[in-house]
Amino acid sequence: MANQLPRVGIYGLTGCAGDQLTIINCEDEILALFGAADIRSFVMAKSDNTEDEMDVAFVEGSVSTEEDLSMLKDIRKRSKILIAIGGCASCGGPQSGRALEKNWKDRIKQVYGNTKFEIPDAKEHQPLSAHVKVDGVIPGCPIDKGEFLRAVSRIVNGDMPIAYKYPVCVECKYNENECLLLKGIPCIGPLTAAGCDSVCVNHNIPCVGCRGPVIEANVASEYKLLLEKKFSKEDIVNRAMMFGGVKMAELLENLKGAKK
Amino acid sequence: MRVLKLRKKDLKKMLEKISSFGELWAPVKKGDKFAFQKIDNLNDVDPNAGRTILPLKKFMVPPRFSMFRYDKDGYHEQLGEVTDRVVFGAHACDINGLLILDKVFAEEFSDPYYIERRKRTAIIGVSCVPDEFCFCKETNTDTVDEGYDLFFSELGDDFLVWVGSSKGDDMVRAAEELFDENISVKDIQKFIEWKKWRETQFKMDIDLTAMPDIFELKIDDKVWEKIGEKCLACGSCSMVCPTCNCFNVTDTVALGKMEGTRDRCWDACTLHEYSLVAGGHNFRGSRADRMKLWYTHKLQAFIGEFGKPSCVGCGRCITTCPVDINVKTVAKTLRGEEVYFK
Ligand code: SF4
Ligand code: SF4
Ligand code: SF4
Ligand code: SF4
Repeated sequence: MANQLPRVGIYGLTGCAGDQLTIINCEDEILALFGAADIRSFVMAKSDNTEDEMDVAFVEGSVSTEEDLSMLKDIRKRSKILIAIGGCASCGGPQSGRALEKNWKDRIKQVYGNTKFEIPDAKEHQPLSAHVKVDGVIPGCPIDKGEFLRAVSRIVNGDMPIAYKYPVCVECKYNENECLLLKGIPCIGPLTAAGCDSVCVNHNIPCVGCRGPVIEANVASEYKLLLEKKFSKEDIVNRAMMFGGVKMAELLENLKGAKK
Repeated sequence: MRVLKLRKKDLKKMLEKISSFGELWAPVKKGDKFAFQKIDNLNDVDPNAGRTILPLKKFMVPPRFSMFRYDKDGYHEQLGEVTDRVVFGAHACDINGLLILDKVFAEEFSDPYYIERRKRTAIIGVSCVPDEFCFCKETNTDTVDEGYDLFFSELGDDFLVWVGSSKGDDMVRAAEELFDENISVKDIQKFIEWKKWRETQFKMDIDLTAMPDIFELKIDDKVWEKIGEKCLACGSCSMVCPTCNCFNVTDTVALGKMEGTRDRCWDACTLHEYSLVAGGHNFRGSRADRMKLWYTHKLQAFIGEFGKPSCVGCGRCITTCPVDINVKTVAKTLRGEEVYFK
């Protein structure tokens, strides 16, 4: 990629488009972004898009339909590097908040009865990694624009985005916050990958895990701790599943009593 | 050492007189805790403040900072951005913590970033009364006679002021008229009485006798597995510990430009990625191993190398770990006095 600008595609599957919007909102840096990369496809931002080989594809959203799946497989096939952006692409997103309960068909029926859908092939919401190889992740709901730009810069320079392998608590201590968990507020910062600069706790709001589970998240220990602090099983699971999606469901799966 | 007296009611005046020595920082309430914060109003300075969330190390090695910038012309040191500061309200344990950081960063291997900030940060200590989590008496760090510029000891309506450096002496000279050279026999007696009383105020029940030997004997004990099961690997204990000093270095490259910064941030052996090496092998992949490392480092290995523990008894791990893993619970469990980790 040394001489030629890397060819980049930015795509969305099932999600709120918030991550693509975050990229568009990089007002001050958007020129630098378009200057550093050859943005060949970005349907949300421009109309002349070329769908061929890409050096890097950034993909937002969960795989929730057959159409999503074939689009993802196509992107994967023609991209050297595939980066999942946002909570839906990396974990499954809030739409997979009931993933722990399995029985997708029953759940659909419970909500929609016998309504006929225009999209007949909807399926359990999955992160990209459930279907294709993902080379890097920029998590968050939505992504942080600074992190996105730093990631692009690293990729342009032949590196990969930083993967945050430590929890939000580390940044929370950098910011010298008083720990909310110690005060009995159910913060799941210890289970959540850092990178957001602990922005919620900086504003006195507990972390709800929007960046998804950190590597080695000790769900069993925090679950036990919150039970001791008199939170109900349902409360704890709901909190963890708000953004944790399929990734969190896998971790909760093995806990005695967490599953309904 | 020069020792003088300052009337407590003249503290504000004195701090005002030394304002040319740098920005004033002191412990100020943050929620239910304290944090060293920049002082804009001298009325916020409270010599009786309790332990701060982060220790003094944040002044000498900020949690995150840029070491240098680079561009096509070369490297540009960021040391010029270090400011002069006066930090008021340091407790003895924390100053002892700094003395340990001095050993790590300013002796065999000298770290210019640490040394510059250390030089530019004046430390004014104050005597303190232990709360239920302090155990500096057990780690021999309840008093301190170096590492500060001035130290204020309790003396009723006055402070007894110990001058610990030439910068300290300069500060005293800048407010000369407020200090009293005459320390009476009665003052000395009062000081002794107060020190004796302070000794009786340590409430925490902890015994670190023979800790290095106990670690040796219990290094394969299954309690470490229990501790590992409980640990959230959140790193908070290491972040708040005054003597933890590990860091990571990363590059931030500006987008589309030939420039960037080389940045440094606190890291910790309690975190997953710390012992990950090239090729993907993690030689301390289990939390139990990492906990073992942290506690042996604090209470055994450091003694072997430097002749004293790298725990200064500040109590921060006790007030910080969400799942109650700390020097107290670990030491008690290893001694078999009480089983915290079932
Ligand atoms: S407030 Fe939350 S994120 Fe911050 S240290 Fe406590 S548990 Fe961790
Ligand atoms: S603190 Fe938690 S919920 Fe808030 S932005 Fe960070 S990861 Fe998301
Ligand atoms: S180990 Fe705990 S008590 Fe000892 S210095 Fe570190 S934080 Fe303080
Ligand atoms: S011992 Fe406690 S504070 Fe330290 S990493 Fe483990 S859970 Fe966090």
